[in-house]
Amino acid sequence: MNIRTLAWKNLRRRRSRALFTGLGIFLGIGTFVALSSLTSQMEGAVQDKLDRYGANILVTPRADDVSLGFGNIALGGTQVARARLSTDDRVRIESIPMKDRLARVVPYFLHAADASGRSLVWMGLPAADLDVARPWWRVHGSLPGNAGEVLLGSEAARSLDKGPGGTVTSGRSTFRVAGVLAPTGEKEDGMVIGEIRSVQELAGSPKGVTYIEVAAHCKDCPVDEIVAEISGAVPGAKVTAIRQVVESRREAVDQFRRLGIGVTAIVMAIAGFSVFVTVMGNVQERTREIGVLRAVGFRRKEILSLLFWETGWISLLSSASGVAAGVLASWLAAPLFGIEQAKVLPGMAAIGLAVGMALGILGSIPPARKAAALSPTEAIRSL
Amino acid sequence: METIIRLENVIMEYGGNGTRVAALNGISLEIGPGEYVAVTGDSGAGKSTLLTILGGLQLPTSGRLVLGGVDLTSCTADGLADFRRKTIGFVFQSYHLLPYLTARENVMVPMVPMKRDAREKADRADSLLDSVGLSGKESRLPSQLSGGECQRVAIARALVHDPPLLLADEPTGNLDSATGEQILELFLGRSSSVLRA
Repeated sequence: MNIRTLAWKNLRRRRSRALFTGLGIFLGIGTFVALSSLTSQMEGAVQDKLDRYGANILVTPRADDVSLGFGNIALGGTQVARARLSTDDRVRIESIPMKDRLARVVPYFLHAADASGRSLVWMGLPAADLDVARPWWRVHGSLPGNAGEVLLGSEAARSLDKGPGGTVTSGRSTFRVAGVLAPTGEKEDGMVIGEIRSVQELAGSPKGVTYIEVAAHCKDCPVDEIVAEISGAVPGAKVTAIRQVVESRREAVDQFRRLGIGVTAIVMAIAGFSVFVTVMGNVQERTREIGVLRAVGFRRKEILSLLFWETGWISLLSSASGVAAGVLASWLAAPLFGIEQAKVLPGMAAIGLAVGMALGILGSIPPARKAAALSPTEAIRSL
Repeated sequence: METIIRLENVIMEYGGNGTRVAALNGISLEIGPGEYVAVTGDSGAGKSTLLTILGGLQLPTSGRLVLGGVDLTSCTADGLADFRRKTIGFVFQSYHLLPYLTARENVMVPMVPMKRDAREKADRADSLLDSVGLSGKESRLPSQLSGGECQRVAIARALVHDPPLLLADEPTGNLDSATGEQILELFLGRSSSVLRA
């Protein structure tokens, strides 16, 4: 028998107290692992969704503002483009040094043209990018699959009285209506949306591009560097970081993290205090036993060691079960927090185990020191 | 004469609330190897205080406690713990066995901090339990033993590290007279010196 086994035997005898001491650590570590896992996975999920749901860099032709007036009478102003974008610019943007940070690059071409006798705005973008460029679109029918098909905005469909399967003519071209867009509240509601090459042909501008949307993977997003590289790759373009979007993404992620840290800190503090109180009570109860051990020659460090082994056993078992409970809880709760594929994070489990052990040992330092400092005389008086 | 331990003019006073009470007043004492010393006196005469000082559990207010030429009153807490471990065996009136340990494990308690083989520790405990007549009861908890048996376990525990001095504070106080006689016989014939209050 050694100090380790003596500690274990004492725990087995005082099961209910050991359970109570371990309960604090169990709850603390369970909460820590569950919240940390959820927060970490939510960060990823939110980031993924935000990256999927819109661009954060806009590339437009550089333009000069021109004021119009007659004498002292101001007639407003207009913008004159200094350069035009083309489909080749997409390739240039996709070749920048930080190209790995780009989620997608989508060129758009806008052109006002006839649509079955009505003048509407046609929006062209690569058919292959339709589903990723606007993932929130809800379509009755299907997305255009080729250059001969179009998608009608809800307002445009109503004014043309067309639905899926109908046709829209413009000049000598006829397009099949593949689907109708559910109302979005945006300008797309009044547009005819098709393959960019078809719209370019209608406008007689084979490589014309009105603007390019760039979505960057935005976890720790170096937007300023990406903007600088795109500006270098497309000198005639004005490259604008939609900072509000970037900041709101960071803000959302940070809020999740802060919430997790705050709740975890509170629970851990309660758990640590609970260990302190229960071990302190344990020491008070065991004054007589500690006195006997001191009387038979246990040194102070051996009393300390005994109490640390006891708390160590409790911490190990309760941390391990807390980690298991936390992983299970985060797994079960993941769908409620919008996490599509819950994962077990082994790193988080290891940290939970280490934190639980540290919590138990730290919480038991003051009571253990008190026990070790207990005068054998005082203990013997209670004998 | 060779001595194991010597008290020189020991005074022990307890104080509190502005009053001081002398429990021991200038006690000098020498205990030699194999001696059996019985201390008698009225309740409150200072018998237990004398034992706690001899056992290094507390230090006197003044005077010297000398072991092998070394004055223990100048020792640190750990030095006194080492002194108790090597030199002293305690037997208490109320046994003070650890209730969650078996008889064998209780006897092994003083050897817990020692770096010895577990089997060796267990054999030593079994041998002592056998010598106090508890063979076959090694695996019983204190709650499964009678008062006399518990005191026998306590004596085995006090002897497990071969202390030169055995201190027994009213070891038969909680036992009937027949069992008490049996317990006192266990102290006789030991190589350790015995001081009994």
